[in-house]
Amino acid sequence: MADTGYSSGSKDEENDSPTKSEEKRAFKDPLISGLDVTDDADMESLSLDASGKSDLSVSRSSSLIANLSHFEDAEDDTHDLFVHVDDPEKHTGTMESYVTFRVNTKTTRSEYDDSEYSVRRRYNDFLWLRQRLEETYPTHLVPPLPEKHSLRRLDRFSPEFLRVRQAALQKFLKRIADHPVLSFDKSFQVFLTAKAWEFQAYKKQGTGLLGRVTDSLHNISASYMNKNRPPEFVIMYDYIHALSEKIGVMDRICQRVSKEQAEHLIELSEWGPIYTLWSNSEEELVPSLLAMSEAVDKCCQYMREVIDANDDDFAQPLKEYILFTDAIKAVLRRRDAIQMEFDATVDELNRKKDEREQLKISDQTYSIGAFLGKDPEDVKQQKQDKLEHNIEELTKQMEELNDKTVCADTDLRADMERWHKNKQKDLKELFMSQADRQIKYYEKCLKSWEGAIRKIQAKDLEFITTEVPEEPTQSDS
Amino acid sequence: MEESDRSSPSTPELLSYSADEEPLELAKKAGKKNLLQWMEITVSEPEKRTVTSMKVQDTFYVYLIETRITDNSLACKGDGTTSLWRRYNEFELLRNYLECTYPALVIPPLPEKKPSYLWQGAPTDKFDPEFVERRRAALEIFLLRLAAHPILSQDRMFISFLQQDEGWKETVYSTDFQSKSESRLKALSAAYRLKKPEKRFEELKNYSNELESNIANLLKIRARMADKVYGIHKVHSNYGRVFCEWSGIEKEMAEPLKSCGHYMNVYGQTVEGILEEEEQYADQLKEYMAFADSLRTVCRKYECMQYDFERAEDNLTNKQIQKEQLNLGKAGSSFSLTGMKSKIFGGDTPEQREQKIKQLEEQIKQADVDLRKVGEETQKFIDTALRDIDRFKRQKVKDLKEIFTNYAIMQIKQCKKGIAVWTSAKDCLTKM
Repeated sequence: MADTGYSSGSKDEENDSPTKSEEKRAFKDPLISGLDVTDDADMESLSLDASGKSDLSVSRSSSLIANLSHFEDAEDDTHDLFVHVDDPEKHTGTMESYVTFRVNTKTTRSEYDDSEYSVRRRYNDFLWLRQRLEETYPTHLVPPLPEKHSLRRLDRFSPEFLRVRQAALQKFLKRIADHPVLSFDKSFQVFLTAKAWEFQAYKKQGTGLLGRVTDSLHNISASYMNKNRPPEFVIMYDYIHALSEKIGVMDRICQRVSKEQAEHLIELSEWGPIYTLWSNSEEELVPSLLAMSEAVDKCCQYMREVIDANDDDFAQPLKEYILFTDAIKAVLRRRDAIQMEFDATVDELNRKKDEREQLKISDQTYSIGAFLGKDPEDVKQQKQDKLEHNIEELTKQMEELNDKTVCADTDLRADMERWHKNKQKDLKELFMSQADRQIKYYEKCLKSWEGAIRKIQAKDLEFITTEVPEEPTQSDS
Repeated sequence: MEESDRSSPSTPELLSYSADEEPLELAKKAGKKNLLQWMEITVSEPEKRTVTSMKVQDTFYVYLIETRITDNSLACKGDGTTSLWRRYNEFELLRNYLECTYPALVIPPLPEKKPSYLWQGAPTDKFDPEFVERRRAALEIFLLRLAAHPILSQDRMFISFLQQDEGWKETVYSTDFQSKSESRLKALSAAYRLKKPEKRFEELKNYSNELESNIANLLKIRARMADKVYGIHKVHSNYGRVFCEWSGIEKEMAEPLKSCGHYMNVYGQTVEGILEEEEQYADQLKEYMAFADSLRTVCRKYECMQYDFERAEDNLTNKQIQKEQLNLGKAGSSFSLTGMKSKIFGGDTPEQREQKIKQLEEQIKQADVDLRKVGEETQKFIDTALRDIDRFKRQKVKDLKEIFTNYAIMQIKQCKKGIAVWTSAKDCLTKM
């Protein structure tokens, strides 16, 4: 498991609060045992689903159980929700043109009336779904959506652009469908199943109260640097920042490579025709020159394929991870905000407790109340009662907030564990496919040059009869 | 080059020649068609020299020319090997001499004086070791081409260029070869005045231009491509750096990332080798581009010959016309200048006319002889030139096929390198 430091950091934090460490232990053990088995096993898909646990309600505390069940089920590899995106279709309206994608769902979950659905959704609908999920689960990591516009493919109706977008949307929905909590969301189900008009109506219901609350929390926390942030999250925070920087650099390098390759391609595409032109004035070299021209043209074509694939299948998926780091940063900020609220309450409680201690030893003879003719003891008692009441309330509040913080931490921790695992697998796949593409490119170029040699040499035997070349150059290969 | 009959057994009688006789003569008698069949020539060890004369410092490279007689039957005094130093401008002198002495032959070109068709990362300095090394290789090829030539390889100045250390320059100048080259000046405008230029030379001229421009285009684009190839590889080294840094913040991914980064660095480094190899292809093309100039020189020389021939022809026809006019005498009622003259100054007496005709007949006879002589020379020139051009073309077809094949082999090698690096990188990733 990609425990990038924060799980080790969590050890330092065991004495934080009894509830936390207790829960953590409960959640950690199956994690470790489950991982050792599944770690390098072939994970064909992002199958990290809490499948079969349809009785779980989508509550905060459920995430813990969901997380546990996820690791148990990972080995079974049972899915009960499959989503597939295909068939982009352009709609030309009077005001605007847009593209819808077909979203196909297959499921055995009992919340769904049918086992198969097929609906059409446009990008904005995906955007709505993501916002809704983020509002509902501020402490969960909601996968990112591709950016609305692409810099490279300016025509957003071009088949290439749609192919890449379709893949990105597919990935987005799959990540949600495989998520033990998000996949049970009501809005997600509506998104997958509702008829067009039902869906529009549902969307109009607007964002819930929760959304606004988290929004405000979000805002406070933006400038708030949590000093008491547990080390595991400090490490997570630092890691995400470092990672986003690295992937950002990767992305820029990737752009540079594409740019250099594109410029190389322009030159290369001019090179082949010159050999053809030359063949007009070289009677006996026509086959050789045409062989050169052909080989260069072929390499040109292979290069073009590499450039396109490089952007669509490497740069774009890489971008998803840049967006992922942003999403994680946002969740971390929201977690901070929750902890801040808790910390503030604890501070307040401690202050009241101090006050109470002060009060116990204080002499109220010279207080304003005593001055007004009241019995100093009564005044003291009154104040004490008030403080007791305050403390009682604050304690209750603190406990609630503690629960909330613990839940948030657990949610985030679980999501990050899953994310790390996925990340490693995704990046591995991504880099491997990039290497594969390069290898294939070179193999194809190699073949075309081998072909060229054969053509150049084959004619040799016919034309040159007086001077036979001394070394026969693998004409049999 | 073709050494097909090198293996032919040397007849024992050859050994009976006196040791004083020069190997060149011996070789001719032994039926060697060119120098390469009995001599090995190498140009090696470029060496930088600085000479200060009259307070002016002159820095240049000298190249060691070594020869070895490979046919034992021709060995004479000593061990049959020589070695001496020559600098570039001596090569130039040799080539100038040959060009003037053998106007009908396609003289192999010398390597370029300054680096051309460069990509950005290539050395521009003409003292750069890489450039000097490439020049050395090209100078060797130049000598080998001369040595393989049936006529040029028999030239005494060439032989002594290879073997005679002292006073070679003076000997060359003493041949007064430059006087023959004066006709080159004429050639500049000759083309416009030719009445019936030989079609084959016209075609050759066009061909030379096409050859030059096609290769120039290839080289131009290759230089730009080299820039891009360099860029692509170097940017991949950046991947190497990022992977390395990235591995610092990962745990399980760290090792695979790091080693993958290493291979990206390797990939970046392979570019130097690739571009150096490609430079060889460029050099080979450059030689043929320079050959275009050699061909054009032959064409220009032909034009001079043709011009002389046509002038001789004109001379003859003029004389013949004059004679005819004189023969027609008064009957000619034309407005010609001679007619006018005879009207104004009074006609010639028959005696005078008789004498004039006689004089003209003399001149015509002379002109006819001249014409025949020039005609023969021209024809000889044309024959020699066409034969040599034919030889050049055959060599060219053979060479270019080899050059293209080598280029393709080089590409295959590079592809294999690429495959190897990316496969290693992929192997690292499987451990991720």
